[in-house]
Amino acid sequence: MGRESTSSWPLIDRIGLGLAWAAGLLLCLVASAIVIYMLVRGVQFLRPGLLFSHPQPELDQTKSGGFLDPLLGTFILTVLGTTLAILPGVSIAVWLSEYARPFWLARAVESGVEVVAGTPSIVLAIFGLIIFSQHLFAPFSFTAEGGAVFGRSFFAAGAMMALIALPLIVGATREALQAIPRHVREASYALGKTKAATIRRVLLPTARPGIATGTALGMGRIAGDTAIVVILLGASLQLSSQGSGPILSTLRGTGSTLTSYVYNNSPAGEGNAPEKAYAAAFVLLLIVITLNFAVDLISRRRSAPAWNT
Amino acid sequence: MSTKVAQPSPGLLDSLWETVSKPWTDKRAELVLGALACSVLVLIAGMVIFVFVKAWPSFSHNGLSWFGSGGNVDQQLDDIFNSTKTGHGYDYHLRAWPLLWGTILTTVGAVVLGLAVALFAAVFIVEFAPDWLRRVLDPVVRLLAAVPSVIYGLIGILVIVPFVGNHLISAGRKESVAYVVQLTGASLIVAVLILTVMITPIMLAIIVDALRSVPRGWTEGAAALGVNRWRVMWTISVRAARPAIVAAAVLATARALGEAIMLSMVSGSIGFAPNPLDGITFFFEPTRPLAATIVDRADALSAPPLGQTLYAFAAVLLVSAMFLSLAGWLAKQPLKKYGAGA
Amino acid sequence: MRTFRLTTVAVLALAALAMPAAALAKPTITLSGSTSVAPLAAKLAGAYVKHHKVRFKILQGGSDIGVNDVAHGRVTLGMSSRDPLPSDPGGLQFNRIARDGICVATNPGNPIANLSQEQIQGIFSGKVRSWSQVPGARIGGTIDLIVRNAASGTQDAFQNIFMGQNLRVAPSASQKPSNGRVQQSIASDRNAIGYVDFNFTRGLHTVPYKGVSCSLRNAKSGQYGGIRNFWLVSRGKAKGPAAAWIKWIRSAAARSIIASNWVPVK
Repeated sequence: MGRESTSSWPLIDRIGLGLAWAAGLLLCLVASAIVIYMLVRGVQFLRPGLLFSHPQPELDQTKSGGFLDPLLGTFILTVLGTTLAILPGVSIAVWLSEYARPFWLARAVESGVEVVAGTPSIVLAIFGLIIFSQHLFAPFSFTAEGGAVFGRSFFAAGAMMALIALPLIVGATREALQAIPRHVREASYALGKTKAATIRRVLLPTARPGIATGTALGMGRIAGDTAIVVILLGASLQLSSQGSGPILSTLRGTGSTLTSYVYNNSPAGEGNAPEKAYAAAFVLLLIVITLNFAVDLISRRRSAPAWNT
Repeated sequence: MSTKVAQPSPGLLDSLWETVSKPWTDKRAELVLGALACSVLVLIAGMVIFVFVKAWPSFSHNGLSWFGSGGNVDQQLDDIFNSTKTGHGYDYHLRAWPLLWGTILTTVGAVVLGLAVALFAAVFIVEFAPDWLRRVLDPVVRLLAAVPSVIYGLIGILVIVPFVGNHLISAGRKESVAYVVQLTGASLIVAVLILTVMITPIMLAIIVDALRSVPRGWTEGAAALGVNRWRVMWTISVRAARPAIVAAAVLATARALGEAIMLSMVSGSIGFAPNPLDGITFFFEPTRPLAATIVDRADALSAPPLGQTLYAFAAVLLVSAMFLSLAGWLAKQPLKKYGAGA
Repeated sequence: MRTFRLTTVAVLALAALAMPAAALAKPTITLSGSTSVAPLAAKLAGAYVKHHKVRFKILQGGSDIGVNDVAHGRVTLGMSSRDPLPSDPGGLQFNRIARDGICVATNPGNPIANLSQEQIQGIFSGKVRSWSQVPGARIGGTIDLIVRNAASGTQDAFQNIFMGQNLRVAPSASQKPSNGRVQQSIASDRNAIGYVDFNFTRGLHTVPYKGVSCSLRNAKSGQYGGIRNFWLVSRGKAKGPAAAWIKWIRSAAARSIIASNWVPVK
């Protein structure tokens, strides 16, 4: 069956078609322009040495140091934020999809998750500053000589980043749980398992790819966020740990991430070293693209388990 | 002989283990999970309360004229900061209209532009794109959605702003507003364009989902009646997807409102209210939306009273974003009928 | 059960390792304030930690933010590039650590040979609006003014040294929150003119003031007119680690660090 030729269409419909094509091609154009430009600049300015040397607080930023610490900072923050978000995220998703009583509470929680998803990250950041500057939370950052709680540390930033990842994990897990057909649950009850045990032993393991998808999406968004880092991470170029004890001290200390590094080295910040900003931005883009690619892989592998055989 | 083995009384560790390892009753599981779920609501309530408590002095001092205009808002912010030096108590005088106007212009501009592009592109993806192009567009849209805002800002400030400043704005135009404001390339139009690129993928995903879940009987029936493909899409699918379009626009508005970093890099960093009566120059005038103002002045967050004024900005953003998110969630509810978008 | 017991013991042991370390914790000195003083403070801090058990955190924001923060106990020391003002909060002690200069700078495409004080006042107050009215300018068109915001000590110093008591900078001037941003703006705009700390002049053309070029040598010899003081501000007399650091800054070892890019005080 041949496709109708568009020459028989009225003019306005042809204009519409043309606009549709234009919009589609425009998207491709913009995306490839961004990728190609970052690729060119990244290759131009990225030297392997930059990835492995520490940033130095010199006046002339073009000659000093690389961005190892910001790279580590991105890694630490992403892992911390995702770890803090997984348990609450999965729990909320399970409650919403398996229990959800009373009904009005479930709707309230659902819209609550949407509200958190829609809150600007700058608002989350300054909310975090209020919370962590209280003396109650001093163990999560440190207290300066002079009495004020500093309020900025990896813990503080990680906690707020968890809020960014939370809605994504909740959404993906709920989708995965809702995709499991009812007869699976009914079979499990018929065999005498309680609802809690069914969730723990049957549903959650099946929903694992969905949880992984949500986690990877969350990691992508955390890695790309700048506002929370700029306000809550203390803006020290190098990882500067606080107190001691191996891991805890880094988390209580301050540092920077690739996003704040790019911001500070751009004309909007202090560093005035656009070459390094490009190099770091290129690395950041690669990380984010890889995470999204991982999401693709995971969701493709999770072709439906053979419930119907 | 009966041997009675004395059992040691259960230690702390043992009883802890008992509670954890015994299968949870449904009731306990439901309570625990429910409590965790309610913590989201507690968190939101906490956010609103804390931010408003910090922001209250600024609002109470100015009343409703906080939203009005009058005077140079940057000068007022400086005066607020300097008021800590005198012993006369803090001064909170502020007329935030230029910032609000800048926020409205950038947000509405980007959403309108983005909605147009997203709508046509969605129709293209669902109906008209050849298969190979459709397979390319999928990752393209996801890529655009995933690029961090600081990278958009970097390209904006290093490439687009100098281009606009040096090549698109003529010297004559700069002279025409010389004593009022300086025209560098960082301007309203750059901000709107980049913000559009950032929010279009969000709207696109929602609208594509909705277009795809229009019942096939409707589209095929129309085609059987001789309607051409464009008209089928436009008059039937797009019409049916109207709730999705509204939801997409609302959610994109929430996102555009909250964009701070990219806008602080390219929109001009001056609390100036662009004047539509200036004609074409209107597009080249700098401005600074609310979120960007908070980022630009973030050093003063812990210093009242300027800190409290910044919290007032955040309170406005928070309330707007909450309303928009709730509205978007409500708008998405009817979509569940078609099974589109959860 | 055994694994549970083992993991619990392991976690408690790890936590126990973390505790006694609190007793050995290094004190932290936090600074905030002038973007001009920050590079010097960072260099001095970097040299100091090599032999002393202290940690530093340096924030910025402008001299006024530093003075305000230290007056309220939010940071240990404030960095200020302007002299104490009568409107400053009470109870502060200003400790001078160096002297430094402000350069008037233009874009390299507009290398002006010299500017007198009257010319600078005319340009920055907005009386002179076009480059064609400035002798020695290589370009025409509007003058783009790049200045600092009100929290800046550099702005204070510029006002006092160059503008005098009666003239103010034009309200249409583009205000930037730091030296780095002013530097960037001037470097990317041919019509721009502004003022920066003289360690932020890379990529710019520095304009000689009253015939004397803006350089470290001329500042040290006292010939260049645009010199101001750098201060570390403490709440009351500096105590403990902060006092020890300030004392070290006044020693000979620190003087050589200061002399590399700034003017040491006698």
